[in-house]
Amino acid sequence: MERSTNVSRGGRIALLAAVPAAVGLVLFLVVPFVMAFALTFTDQRLVGPERGHLIGWRNYERLLGMSYVVQQPQSAINGATSSTEPTFNRVRDLTRNDPQYKGYRPFSQFHLGQDRVTVLAQDPDFLRSLLNTFAFAVMVVPLQCLMALALALLVNAGLRAQTFFRAVYFSPVVMSMVVVSIVWTFLFDRDLGSINKLMSWLTLGAVAHVDWLGDPVTAMPAIAIMSAWQGAGFQMLIFLAGLQGISQELYDAARIDGATPWQRFWNVTLPGLRQTIVFVLVVTTIAALGLFTQIDVMTQGGPQNATSTVMFHAIQRGVREENIAYGSTVAVVYFMLIAMLILIQQALQRRWAK
Amino acid sequence: MAKNLGVAWLLALALPLSACGEAARPGDRTELTLWRHQAGDVEEAAGRAAIARFNQAQTQWHITAQALPQGGYTQSIVAASLAGELPCLLTVDQPMVASFVRAGHLLPLDGLIPASTISQLSPAAQGRFQSHLYSVGQFDAALALFTRRSTLASVGARTPTLNHPWSLAEFDDVLTKLKSNRPSSYPLDLATRDPKSDWWTYAFAPMLQSFGGDLLNRATMATADGVLNGQAAQRFGSWFGSLFRRGLVNRREPDDRAFITGRAAMAYTGNWWAPDYRAAAGKDLLILPPPNFGHGPVIGGGSWQWAISASCPHPDGAAAFLRFLQRPREIAQMADAAGMVPVTAAGAALSSGFRNGGTSRVFFDLTQRFARQRPATPAFPVISSNFFVALQDIADGGDPHDALDDATDAIDRAIADSPDHSSPPSRAS
Repeated sequence: MERSTNVSRGGRIALLAAVPAAVGLVLFLVVPFVMAFALTFTDQRLVGPERGHLIGWRNYERLLGMSYVVQQPQSAINGATSSTEPTFNRVRDLTRNDPQYKGYRPFSQFHLGQDRVTVLAQDPDFLRSLLNTFAFAVMVVPLQCLMALALALLVNAGLRAQTFFRAVYFSPVVMSMVVVSIVWTFLFDRDLGSINKLMSWLTLGAVAHVDWLGDPVTAMPAIAIMSAWQGAGFQMLIFLAGLQGISQELYDAARIDGATPWQRFWNVTLPGLRQTIVFVLVVTTIAALGLFTQIDVMTQGGPQNATSTVMFHAIQRGVREENIAYGSTVAVVYFMLIAMLILIQQALQRRWAK
Repeated sequence: MAKNLGVAWLLALALPLSACGEAARPGDRTELTLWRHQAGDVEEAAGRAAIARFNQAQTQWHITAQALPQGGYTQSIVAASLAGELPCLLTVDQPMVASFVRAGHLLPLDGLIPASTISQLSPAAQGRFQSHLYSVGQFDAALALFTRRSTLASVGARTPTLNHPWSLAEFDDVLTKLKSNRPSSYPLDLATRDPKSDWWTYAFAPMLQSFGGDLLNRATMATADGVLNGQAAQRFGSWFGSLFRRGLVNRREPDDRAFITGRAAMAYTGNWWAPDYRAAAGKDLLILPPPNFGHGPVIGGGSWQWAISASCPHPDGAAAFLRFLQRPREIAQMADAAGMVPVTAAGAALSSGFRNGGTSRVFFDLTQRFARQRPATPAFPVISSNFFVALQDIADGGDPHDALDDATDAIDRAIADSPDHSSPPSRAS
C-alpha cells in the first residue's frame, strides 16, 4: 500500500519534471511537423500575407513525377547512313514543346540498342539529392565509426598523456561546423590548399593537384572525410564508455589462455561493444542523412549538383525561393522514406533474431 | 524536496523574462520609428548622423532608429506587418520593393515627394512597381573593372574609357594574354567565392544584358522565355563558361584578396572595394567600365532605399524625413561618410569624392550612364536563385543552353503559380 502511493507520487513528480521537455517537443517538433504536412497540400509562400490555396497533390506530383522518352538517332530518321556517333535531338527541345512532357527535365540517360532512352523527372534535382545523401551516408558512416573506434582504443590503451589526447580528439566536435567547413574549404583548395601541397610534397610532385571540391567525383568524398574528422570525437567518447564497461576479468582470462592482442580485440572487445556499435551506427546514420551545413558553406550543392542533399534542396526551395509549401513536401516525403526504411530494417532484425 | 524543485522549475519557466522600458519621448514632438537593416558600422553611423540632423533641423517630428539583422530582415518585416506593428519608416533593398508592395507593406510616395525632387534622382534610385514610386534611394553602388596601369602595359592593351570601353574581343584578348604571361594564375577575379545568389545576379545579370539578354521579359514581366534562354543569353552562357574552362577565372576564389595580393591581374567588383584597392595599388590603380558585350556596358543599379509603411499614421512626417534625405548636402554627406555613390548630380557636386574631378567620380558616371535595375517583380527571389544555379552549373562545365532553359522554366512556373505576381496590387490597406 505504502509502496504504491510512493510510486504514484514518484510518477507525478516524473510527469511534472517531464513537462518542460514535453512542451518543447510538442511545440517545436510535433506542431511544426503537422503544420508542414498541412502545408504540402497548399501553395503557401514563405513571405507575403496571402493565405495559400488548397491545391491537392500538385506539390507531390512535382516532386515525384517521372516519365521517359525514347529517341531514335537523327541519322535513322534522315535515312543517312554514317559510321560516326549517332546524333539525337536535344531532349529539352522535345520536353519544352510537347505538352505531354511539360515540367519534365532529364534525370539520366542510357542507350538501348540504337535508341536513346532518357528518364525524365519533374524534379531531377530532388532525386539526385536523394542519391547523393545516401551515397554520403554510405561513405561517412563506416569511415567515421572506424575512426572513432580506433581513437577510442588509442586513448584507452593506457599510454601517457591520454587525457590530453582525449581532449584533442574531441575538440573538433565542439567547434562550430561552419568554422570547420570554412577551414577545410581552404585545406581542399586546388592551388593554395595544404592537402594538395602536402600530397605533391610527399610524392615529389608526382601527384597532380586535385580540385577536391570542384570535381563532381571527389566533392562528396572530400566532404565525407571532413565530416568524419569533425564528428568522430563524439562517437569516440561513446566507444570509450563502452570500452570501460567491459570487465577487466575477461581480458585477464583471455591473457591466461594465451590470446594474442588481436584475438583479445576480436573475441573480447568487439563482442563487448556490440550494443555500443549498434547505437553509434544508428546515431551516425541519422546525422549523415541530415547533411546540410557543410554543403551550404563549402559547395552550395555544386559542382553540377554532385553534393546537393535532400536537406539542402528543401532549404533551397522552401526558404531561399520562398516556396515553403514545396520545401515542406520535400521534408515530409523524406521523413516518410526514412520511416519506411527503419520499419523494414526493424522487421528484418526481428526475423533474424528469431 | 524533489517536489519543491519541480515547483521552482515551473516558476522559473513561468516568469516573464523582463519588461522593456519605455523610452522617454521629447516633449510635444510626434514620435516616428524607423527600421533599418544592419549594414556595417560605417554606413549605420552615417545613417544615425543623418537622423540626428533631421531631429535637430525641425521641431515637429522625432525619429528613433532600430537596426535589425540583415539575414532575417524580410521575415521581420512580414511578421511585423501581420501583427500590425510595422514602423513608419523602413529601409528596403530595391529588388524586394515589388514583393513588399504586393504584400501591402508600402505606401506609394507619388504625392508625398515633389516631382521636381524625383526627377533629380537617377532611375536606379527610384523603387517603382507598376508605375508607382514606393521607395527612394540616397545612394547606390557601382560595378567596375579594377586593374593596374602596369598590368595593361605588360600586355600592350589600350586603356578603355567610359565612351570607348573594351569590346568582347578586346577583353578576351587582354585576359588570354594575361593568362599566357602567368599560366598558373587566374587573371580575372569575379568574386566567385560569394555563395549568395544576390552577388551572382547583381554582378552577372548586367553582363547577360550587355550581350542582349535579360532575366525577364520586361514588356510582359510574366516570362523569362526568349530572353534568359534566347540566342543572346546562350552566347553569354557559352562565353561565361569558357572563362572557367580556359582558366581565366577561378571557379572558387579561396579568399577575396586576389587583386590586392596580386594573384589576379584584374577584379570585377563594386565601388566598396575601392579604398582597399587604392591602398594596395596606389597611383597604379585603374578603375574601368565593364566591357561592351554588344549592347553597351551595363552595371547593376538599385541599392538599399527608404520607404514608408502602408500603416504609418503620419505619412507627412515620414515624407518630411525622406525629403530631408534628398537634400544635396545630405546625399553628399552620406556619400563621403559611407563611400556610397550619390544618386543626384547636385549631391555628387557637393561631395569631395564624387564631385567632378574627385577620386571616385568614375563610379557616379558609371551609375548615371550604365546602371540598369533588376526587374521589379515579386518573383525576384526565384529569378535570382535560379539564375545563380544556372551560372554555377555553367561555370562547372554544364551545357549553357540546358542550364538557361531549366532556369527559364523554373522561373516561368513560379510566376504562373502565383498569378498576382503580374497583376496590379489589390490591397490598399
